[in-house]
Amino acid sequence: MMKKGRKTYGRNRKHNGHLLMMSAPAIIWFVLFCYVPMFGAAFAFKNFTPKPGESLVRNLFVNSRWCGFENFSFLVRSSDMSNILFNTLFYNVIFLVAGIAVPVVLAILLTEIHGKRFLGVVQMVLLLPYFLSWVIVGYCLYGFLATDEGLVNHVLKLLGSAGVQWYQSPKYWRGILIATGLWKSTGYSMVIYLCAITSIDRTLYESASLDGAGFWDRVRYITLPQLLPTIITIFILQIGSLLNSDFGLFYQVPLDSDSLASVTQTLDVYVYKALMQQANFSYSSAASFLQSFIGCILLVTAHVIISKMGDQDSVGV
Amino acid sequence: MAVIFALCITGCASSSAIGKDPAGGDIINLRFVTYDNGSVPLDAKEVIAAANKVSAEKIGVTINLEFQSKEKINLIMASGEYYDMIFTSSWINPYDKFAPAGMFYDITDLVKSETPALYESVGEYWDCAKVDGRIYAVPTLKDMGAEDMFRFNSDYYEGKKGMTIPERMDFAQLEPYLAAYKDDFPDKYPLAMDKSGVAGYYNCVQRVVDPIIVIPYGQDTPKAVPFWECTEIMDRYRLLHKWYEAGYIHPDAATIDSTAADKTFPVRAGVAWKGYMGYSNPADWGFNVKTSVYDGPFLSRSSEQGAMTAICAGCDEEHATAALKYLELLAIDRKFRDILGYGIEGKHFNYLKNGTVLRTATGSERYNTKLYQTGSGVNASVESISEDVLSDPDQWEKVYEGYRQDGIYSKTGDFYYDPTPKEDIITALTAIYNGYAAELRTGTSNPDKVIPEIKARMEKAGLDELVSDIQEKLDESLRK
Repeated sequence: MMKKGRKTYGRNRKHNGHLLMMSAPAIIWFVLFCYVPMFGAAFAFKNFTPKPGESLVRNLFVNSRWCGFENFSFLVRSSDMSNILFNTLFYNVIFLVAGIAVPVVLAILLTEIHGKRFLGVVQMVLLLPYFLSWVIVGYCLYGFLATDEGLVNHVLKLLGSAGVQWYQSPKYWRGILIATGLWKSTGYSMVIYLCAITSIDRTLYESASLDGAGFWDRVRYITLPQLLPTIITIFILQIGSLLNSDFGLFYQVPLDSDSLASVTQTLDVYVYKALMQQANFSYSSAASFLQSFIGCILLVTAHVIISKMGDQDSVGV
Repeated sequence: MAVIFALCITGCASSSAIGKDPAGGDIINLRFVTYDNGSVPLDAKEVIAAANKVSAEKIGVTINLEFQSKEKINLIMASGEYYDMIFTSSWINPYDKFAPAGMFYDITDLVKSETPALYESVGEYWDCAKVDGRIYAVPTLKDMGAEDMFRFNSDYYEGKKGMTIPERMDFAQLEPYLAAYKDDFPDKYPLAMDKSGVAGYYNCVQRVVDPIIVIPYGQDTPKAVPFWECTEIMDRYRLLHKWYEAGYIHPDAATIDSTAADKTFPVRAGVAWKGYMGYSNPADWGFNVKTSVYDGPFLSRSSEQGAMTAICAGCDEEHATAALKYLELLAIDRKFRDILGYGIEGKHFNYLKNGTVLRTATGSERYNTKLYQTGSGVNASVESISEDVLSDPDQWEKVYEGYRQDGIYSKTGDFYYDPTPKEDIITALTAIYNGYAAELRTGTSNPDKVIPEIKARMEKAGLDELVSDIQEKLDESLRK
């Protein structure tokens, strides 16, 4: 038993060496940017009082005292924390569901396009918004929604309506934000599903067609089941960031308009607004520690539940 | 996390060095961090090299001057990074937070013994730098009180409309000017307004916890109150809302970042001092500009702390002395002061015959710093805006004379509030305030509707606890 194990290990090591080398840049990146900075979590529990001219590590661990959960108190002091948490979860759940459903549907539809050139154009058009920064998206949207010079209000006025003060009318913004968010992210996630669909064995489709399966049957009995592992992978990855939100979408796109705060304020936006003037790094760390901690619990829970459901493919995630 | 990592990278820098000067003595090089006011001047390196040549010869000190953003300065302070001199004030890198925390060098005795001329030059303004009687920074002599003004297109108002623009006016007196323009151009908005509001409208109060807790001027026994209990501020918010409704202010003002590019506005606001010509160059605007002061000058600890230079608490005495010597040279040697202020003579600026300076095109483009960023404003030559429009070379004497005569002085003395113990409340209040601020100051929202809302939310977040703590400290300080 031992002998066999060692032999397999030796062979695996030789075999895996190449793979390890290929993934080395990613591993190094993770160590440098995700694991090494983790000591900074201590900021959240320290009353950080640096002495000028001393090293950061010394300032953090020697010159600052532990203060328990004091740094978290600013989060509970806010009277609209429940609204902020609701917004964060509301948008994230919608993006979790729609952010999977929309690209999957689009990817399936795209596979039905047979003209190569047209397919390329459609893919590019869908992918392009992903590369725009939120600041630019925010101002493009302003071009549409500006009260005076905006395109939408011009059209509304032509139709005889008075026009809307968009940036002062919160009721429209849940929809606007969800639409903008999806518009920007869909193309990119779609590429992932498109790849997964391409790798499905073509013979499955051929034999299904021979057996008389139509488009819907093929989608239902072949494409979706084959896509499931990818979908689950993405789902698990997303669920870990359920308390994080896309800061650009919620801060830049509404142009930080005060009236819209009730529907645009997510945890990240709140923390930014609260700390922008103070530069209190212990507070920011406390907030991001909380997000990461809850995210980690959610991720592990989702992983365990899905593994228990017997889907072996997700275990590899 | 990204912030924390940035801290790790920047946290361990040290840059003070000692070199040999040609004459054989030691030259001390100092890291001088100043506020960049939005951008780093392109020719900074060249100008600093020119200044270093002079200062090395005169006092054996050179500087490595860095123009840094507010965020970067916050980071330098928070990570305990080493510097020799740093910009501090009531609005960037808050002095009253860091000086009591022991972040700055105590220069009380050193400045008297090593640089008596510097000590002499600052005079009565040392008071604004005192924390329990000790001094931790050198106040920069510049405009020490806030004078808030409206800037009018005088070609339009005086020339075309025949209206007069008085030297002083009330905030409310602006209304007919706005109305006149709106009548002529119904599609335009007369009052330039972006999300930061009318420049200087808030200077009529002393800000203790900026901008939520204020102390109005002119009270015999100063009281700290939330801003909505100050009638002056509330009246302004009501007026602005009225103007917004009347169409004098752009409907999206609360989301507009800057109106600088649109030169058509006939009314803007600004904060400056008597004799300041920077707003008045017709070449910049395409019309003649006339200013009218609507507020001030207000003088308080916080206005006098508009710009200061502090020395790092981690410095040894040699470096601290060198830093003071450098600041002294800036405060007494006008030619040297003009280098850091305006650049290299002949390239970035020229002296005019009345002793004022005129920036060249290169200077305006490649080294256009504000004087307060690099040292004394009073000791620098006064800037003219063209060869025809000369400034008064002795303007500062008049400005300071004006403070003595018309100045509205705070009665809180050397009171300061250290925010550290109540920081969690302040953070929560700031977040609430930031959810209303832009719409209040642009007139977008109706103050009588939103203030009760703000009040209720702030009270829940611990406002009363904060106010009574401030009042307690204030009373204690006044008793001394």
